[in-house]
Amino acid sequence: MKTCLIVDDSRVVRKVARRIAEELGFECLEAEDGQKACEACAIAMPDVVLLDWNMPVMSGIEFLEELRKMEGGDHPKVVLCTTENDMAHILRAMEAGANEYIMKPFDNEIIESKFRQIGLI
Amino acid sequence: MDDLISEFIAETRESLEELDQDLVNLEQNPNDHDLLSKIFRLKHTIKGTCGFLGLPRLEKVAHHAENVLGRFRDGDLEVTPEYVTLIFESIDTIKGIIDVIAETGSEPAGDDSALIRKLDEVYESDGSSPAPAPAEEAEAPKPAAEMSDDEKAAQIDRELAEAFGEPVMAADAAASPPPEEAPTPTPAPAAEVKAENAPQQTGTPIAEQQSLRVNVDVLEDLMTMVSELVLTRNQLLQILRIQSESDFNTPLQRLNQVVSELQEGVMKTRMQPIGNAWAKLPRIIRDLSMELGKKIDLVMLGKDTELDRQVLELIKDPLTHMVRNSGDHGIEDPATRKAAGKPETGTITLNAFHEGGHIIITIKDDGKGLPLEKIKQKILDNGMATPEELAQMSTQQINQFIFRAGFSTAEKVTSVSGRGVGMDVVRTNIEKIGGSIELNSVEGKGSTFTIKIPLTLAIVSALVVAASGERFAIPQIGVRELVMTSEDSDNKIETIKGAPVFRLRERLLPLVSLTDLLKLKIPAMADVEQDDLAAEEKAARNKYIVVTQVGSYEFGIIVDRVYDTEEIVVKPVPSILRDLELFSGNTILGDGSVIMILDPNGIAKATGEIEASADAHATQQQEVAHSESGDKISLLLFRGGGRAPKAVPLSLVARLENIDMSKIEHSNDQAMVQYRGQLMPLLTMHPSIDLNTGAGEMPVLVFNAEDNKSMGLVVEEIIDITEEYIDVQIEGNHSGSLGSAIIDGKATDVVDVGYFLQSSNKDWFKNHGDEPFASANDAEPQTTNGSGRKAQSGKRRVLLVDDSAFFRNMLTPLLGVAGYQVTTLESPVEALKLCEKGEEFDVIVSDIEMPDMDGFEFAEKVKAQSNWQDTPMVALSSHATPQDIDRGMTVGFSKYVAKFDRDTLLSTLSQTLSEKRTAKQ
Repeated sequence: MKTCLIVDDSRVVRKVARRIAEELGFECLEAEDGQKACEACAIAMPDVVLLDWNMPVMSGIEFLEELRKMEGGDHPKVVLCTTENDMAHILRAMEAGANEYIMKPFDNEIIESKFRQIGLI
Repeated sequence: MDDLISEFIAETRESLEELDQDLVNLEQNPNDHDLLSKIFRLKHTIKGTCGFLGLPRLEKVAHHAENVLGRFRDGDLEVTPEYVTLIFESIDTIKGIIDVIAETGSEPAGDDSALIRKLDEVYESDGSSPAPAPAEEAEAPKPAAEMSDDEKAAQIDRELAEAFGEPVMAADAAASPPPEEAPTPTPAPAAEVKAENAPQQTGTPIAEQQSLRVNVDVLEDLMTMVSELVLTRNQLLQILRIQSESDFNTPLQRLNQVVSELQEGVMKTRMQPIGNAWAKLPRIIRDLSMELGKKIDLVMLGKDTELDRQVLELIKDPLTHMVRNSGDHGIEDPATRKAAGKPETGTITLNAFHEGGHIIITIKDDGKGLPLEKIKQKILDNGMATPEELAQMSTQQINQFIFRAGFSTAEKVTSVSGRGVGMDVVRTNIEKIGGSIELNSVEGKGSTFTIKIPLTLAIVSALVVAASGERFAIPQIGVRELVMTSEDSDNKIETIKGAPVFRLRERLLPLVSLTDLLKLKIPAMADVEQDDLAAEEKAARNKYIVVTQVGSYEFGIIVDRVYDTEEIVVKPVPSILRDLELFSGNTILGDGSVIMILDPNGIAKATGEIEASADAHATQQQEVAHSESGDKISLLLFRGGGRAPKAVPLSLVARLENIDMSKIEHSNDQAMVQYRGQLMPLLTMHPSIDLNTGAGEMPVLVFNAEDNKSMGLVVEEIIDITEEYIDVQIEGNHSGSLGSAIIDGKATDVVDVGYFLQSSNKDWFKNHGDEPFASANDAEPQTTNGSGRKAQSGKRRVLLVDDSAFFRNMLTPLLGVAGYQVTTLESPVEALKLCEKGEEFDVIVSDIEMPDMDGFEFAEKVKAQSNWQDTPMVALSSHATPQDIDRGMTVGFSKYVAKFDRDTLLSTLSQTLSEKRTAKQ
């Protein structure tokens, strides 16, 4: 079973994402900020990361840069979840190693198609 | 998706609470980039989550507010108080919507376009020269506002605004004054605020760290079960105490320990930092200072102090109210502060800390303090105390009056306070949870409120005591110390005028015996077995006094035995007993017996609270503001020559003194004595008392009238103080006596103090001018002296309105003896209330010079009201000019009588009444 790490500072968003990912057959882990996500990755690398941009302690981009430096950190596919206010940052995220991005609010169809595009399912 | 919504509501409320606080901080540190990012992110998260739940209205408001915050964060818009107010407004809108969602589950319909337009105007304004938030009807072009409704139109919006709006905005900016300089608080408090906030800014919210959300009901159930467990544990320990050698010893010890830890653990789950109750305060103070034009710093110390969430909920509102009060009434406006040599910015300091199983919360301000004189005036106006009582009270005691019902010193009602909910509600709420509140105030320097509340309500530490074989628990919070007394030693209970007192470190401590208070001995039995009881009492010579404090009032509870302190589980009083203020609950002791928990507040109330602590004298001088002659009144019984004992209303007696007979001097055939720097005339009631013995001491009743004049009535012996109905059976046949009444089963002369006052000092009322009265009488030639006294067999009702307690007390028995039923009131305002209630009187006697509303105004009001329109009114005045008399007649008084002319008053009354009858027929 593939694993999905959901990184978002909102419990509600994490819950929504978890439902969708579980429906798609992923085993889910949650982290509320970049720091926690790093810790989780250090223990076990997930197959995919659904990553929020704007979070306390450690932002999405900081985590991404950190992740790609880690051993085995190139394995996870990273899907950035943004809102229109973050549009300007998408390019930066892609450069830092994100595989895809989706807009909030997302639904199961969008996630499923993105996951398909990056070859997860 | 329902659980998602509730999750969302919980999450958003948490965020919003943080936002409130953060924005206030932001206003003070507009350049704090971290803070800005955090605020932005919180709004961002709210907006982001809304999208998932289909809450378009909420999303839109959050979105537009986020836009503005984004500009603050990016540094191209300066943070000004106006902008922060606008953000607050958007937060309030969001809160409102959230509240509706929480209730109904769906987003309410509504129009936020005005708010959104304002937000957009700020968002689109020229960052280089920040303008204050433009007026509502700004000329921003309509298209911009409409386009902004589109979710992804932010970019376009900005372009549109640049195309249409900018010239307007620029003109606005040029015309308007430069933005108010960001308030720079004095360095010290600023540093403090920072230090306090530091952990919050850097750390993540506590709730999000490895926490589990549990329904409150679950915790409540757990607590109840642990409480039961504690009880059972106590029972087991009790059994073990009796059987010292037992196999259960070790496992029970272990159980004891585990239960203690469990109890602690469960208590901890219910604990919340007090900061949660304070979260709203910075915002409130900020809004308050904006509204009132004051500068106020709020310093919060000990935010992390934890207490039971139930307690927390209960003190939230009182705390908010008090902080608001401090800001509204306490802190002066900057100009006043400057004039008083204080820094322009006032400081309100909140502090919370643990102290011996309790939480102490202090609310301190460096404002103007409580206006002592105003409070005194208010106390007198409301008839809560007499001037004499007041004179004997300490500042502290006077200040405590603000906790009484119906007390507010605010001169004008602001939108903030002075709306009728006062400190009495605060006190009630705090007392309800077994806490106490105290106040310290120095006029001009500021006030400090100290609240002491228990950590938790469920389990309290209590002292178990016994009286007459019954056991009771007294919560430790009120207990100051325990004193053992013994009949044989100096440590004994004394009685002053029938009331038990105890000398504790040079101070008289009023006492209340639990046995007497709860009537634990059946009186009938006491009579029969008096000998037995006496013996028993001798055996139990050692009594204990539990020194208890309620607010600033300290008193002692006399008990027979003191047991141990015990952790007791408070069970609420069953509803049938809930009216009994003496008990706050009951509990089950270790041995399985059920005992009542005493409520020190209730006991203090039952014993008379503040009055009792003022002075032994003051206790007996409780003023009855609204007394009818049919009520019991306190009488001083004495022997003053002649066979029959004499009685005088206690309220007329200022002091009881012993006078050295050798100090008596004579002038103008009048015996005098130097008393308090003045010559006081001395009188006797009977020639058998010789003032010329020149040796020994004699008791003297000192009467005071206005103008510091006093008169001494020398008597043989003071017998007692009693409460009786005065029912004069035989009218007085000699001057100086109102008549005879049965008091304490004996025929007693009721003394006419007025007679002695007048005869002692012919010019007693010199200032009050006899002349006008004479002319008044001349103007009423039909006045006949002494006629018609007690003409009616059916009692005539007289309403006497006079602000002077002295005259009320003096005239009441006089009129009562003359066959009238007297109702006395100390202010016209109260009289008018009675009128509204539909009470009826045959005649109204009113003083002229009164505070608030004088007699003229009163008469005008009475004559304007239908109920009493036809009731004749007699004016009573101590000094009157012909103009006054004219005016009196114009406003509706039918007669004008000198205050001290009792005969004329009586004849005028009977005449007025007969006129009224004739008019009716």
